[in-house]
Amino acid sequence: MKINLNNEIIFASTGGRVFEPKMDPLWFIHGSGQSHLSFILQGRFFANRGWPVIAADMPSHGLSNGIALMSIEAMSDWQIALMDQLDVEKVQIVGHSQGGLIGLDMAHRYPNRVSQLSLVATALSIPVNAGLIEMAKNKEQSAIDAMIDWGHGPEGHNHDNTMPGQNHLNFGVQLMAANKVGALYADLKACVDYTNGNLAANEIKLPVQLILAQKDKMTPMKSGLKAAEALRTDNITIVENAGHMLPSEHPEDVNRALRSFFIKS
Amino acid sequence: MTGDYKFDTLSLHAGFTPDDRHGSAAVPIHQTTSYVFKNTEHAAALYNLEIGGHLYSRISNPTVAVLEQRVAALDEGIGAVATSSGMSALFVTVLALCSAGDHIVSSSQMYGANINLFQHTLSRYGITTTFVAPNKPEAFAEAIQENTKMVFGEVIGNPGLDIMDITRVGKIANDAGVPLVIDATFNTPYLLKPLKNGANIVIHSLTKWMGGHGVALGGIVVDGGNFDWGQNDRFPTLTESHFGFQGVNLYEEFGPAAFINRVRTEGMYNVGPCLSPTNAFHLIQGIETLGLRMDRHMKNTEKMLNFLSEHEAISWVKHPTLPNHPDYEVAKRLMPKGSGSVIACGLKGGRQAGQTFIESVQVASHLANVGDAKTLVIHPGSTTQSHLSPEAMKAAGLTDDMLRISVGLEDFDDLKSDFEQALSRASKARG
Ligand SMILES: Cc1ncc(COP(=O)(O)O)c(C=O)c1O
Repeated sequence: MKINLNNEIIFASTGGRVFEPKMDPLWFIHGSGQSHLSFILQGRFFANRGWPVIAADMPSHGLSNGIALMSIEAMSDWQIALMDQLDVEKVQIVGHSQGGLIGLDMAHRYPNRVSQLSLVATALSIPVNAGLIEMAKNKEQSAIDAMIDWGHGPEGHNHDNTMPGQNHLNFGVQLMAANKVGALYADLKACVDYTNGNLAANEIKLPVQLILAQKDKMTPMKSGLKAAEALRTDNITIVENAGHMLPSEHPEDVNRALRSFFIKS
Repeated sequence: MTGDYKFDTLSLHAGFTPDDRHGSAAVPIHQTTSYVFKNTEHAAALYNLEIGGHLYSRISNPTVAVLEQRVAALDEGIGAVATSSGMSALFVTVLALCSAGDHIVSSSQMYGANINLFQHTLSRYGITTTFVAPNKPEAFAEAIQENTKMVFGEVIGNPGLDIMDITRVGKIANDAGVPLVIDATFNTPYLLKPLKNGANIVIHSLTKWMGGHGVALGGIVVDGGNFDWGQNDRFPTLTESHFGFQGVNLYEEFGPAAFINRVRTEGMYNVGPCLSPTNAFHLIQGIETLGLRMDRHMKNTEKMLNFLSEHEAISWVKHPTLPNHPDYEVAKRLMPKGSGSVIACGLKGGRQAGQTFIESVQVASHLANVGDAKTLVIHPGSTTQSHLSPEAMKAAGLTDDMLRISVGLEDFDDLKSDFEQALSRASKARG
């Protein structure tokens, strides 16, 4: 649905169902250079099972207008503003990659607005390689190609897909290319600049779940496991053979893990 | 490119993961109409497009899906839907984009059935077409109207071999907010990937070079995912509520994959020109060697061009790799590896000599197909194009003395001897 937020028209997917926040909505937050389309098979699955779903495109991403936000904190504030706009008190966050950092920061700075946190293929910090940031700034298409290459596991690279006939790598490239120029750079810069992950992890008290990809080259599983330790949670799902883009590459494993964690009412 | 495997590797492997239970190294033929659901929730999830999988083979099938994923990988598309033939691939493409009152701009130099579909079939349903010369990009710009939903053409026109400068036409179409749809049957992704050169959607008749063996018909639609369907309000089939699936808005929920989802959820659901799993298997076997075969097709074509150009019984030879072809430069830029293996030539002695030649060849086969591993010859004036009036023949760039040769993979020495003897009989026939 289209929403007017801070005088900009932005878009949030509701998983194809009318959004009725009768319980804490599932609040999907996409990663660097991504959009709501990272969660096609999560949004529809949970919306069709009665959960209210929001997967918003951050400014300059997907179908949202506005200027790309430059820090994780600004992104959290934006997500909270969107919750206010939709009259939502508390949400169950699912953050993928950079979306996980935003989720951590929201849970830390706005503890009353988050009921629980699912962190997918993420860590307490994402120290993006300087070369990639440079590329995102000056040769965005090469940065997109590199991220789509590193971001996918064996299935993506073998062009196999649970959705018959579809192609992960080329879809990923077009998804990222559809964002406004500069969105990826802003995101990657925000990731490197975010250093409050450890502090947040120490202070967060709400239930946390981690879903990690065994073959993740972008936020290696090791750093996810460290995050779990700092967050004092043993709710960890490791998806075997998966790369960083596991919500699309291994949707059923991800959905199973999320479903076992979500609160229904 | 995304650090991806190279073409010949993708031809052999893309889209297939051996299953855990049997580990079959070849792609299994899933000869089934239907699939047992795990439970009611699983069935509902498949119908709601929330999980991947198969429910009925008119919509999708595991063997067909490997073919779709393989061709999508080779063409660098975001997804594909395979169909029963090249013609049905074009039809489901039109169906996904056009409704009554809409308009198409198309090349005028194309395979006869492509022309007929636009001119005689779609027109009965209120979809009109303006035909323009493929090698005049400005003509496309002039023909595009408010209600134009696609610009269409073949890179290498069949049978006239005119070349469409898809980079330029693609830019013209996209600047006007319209996608470029390309029939890439004659080039295959090995000679040119249209989606990387200006096109937004590609269709193939897989019956031809992709399969290569002439044993199975098939077609495919490949979506480049590189056209923004929401940039204007021209494409309500993609940007407004779908008639099914709880009124899903394909553009919002599937983004770059809106079009290919519409093809599957309307073309395959409501019309159903599905590819049989056995044909999909045969086509996959062919695609495994596409690169190798195309190289050999190009080598033999070059030798055949030299042979024909020097032969006294031949009055003219047309092929985009010959400097006298009007689109020579464009062809060289778009397809540096070669411009296909179909040659048009004129036989001295006109129709009579043509018929004698065709009836005298022994290695080459006389039939109405192209792109087989075997060399094929036909005299369009008396066969494939015989339904055209003399004016239509002229408009399509065809003449009575024209032969169409689809150069195969035989040892060229044998082809040469065969052509020598048939040409000599043809010369005698003209007396
Ligand atoms: C350029 C072109 N497109 C489409 C087709 C139709 O393909 P099919 O016979 O697989 O329907 C043909 C067949 O000759 C063709 O040459």
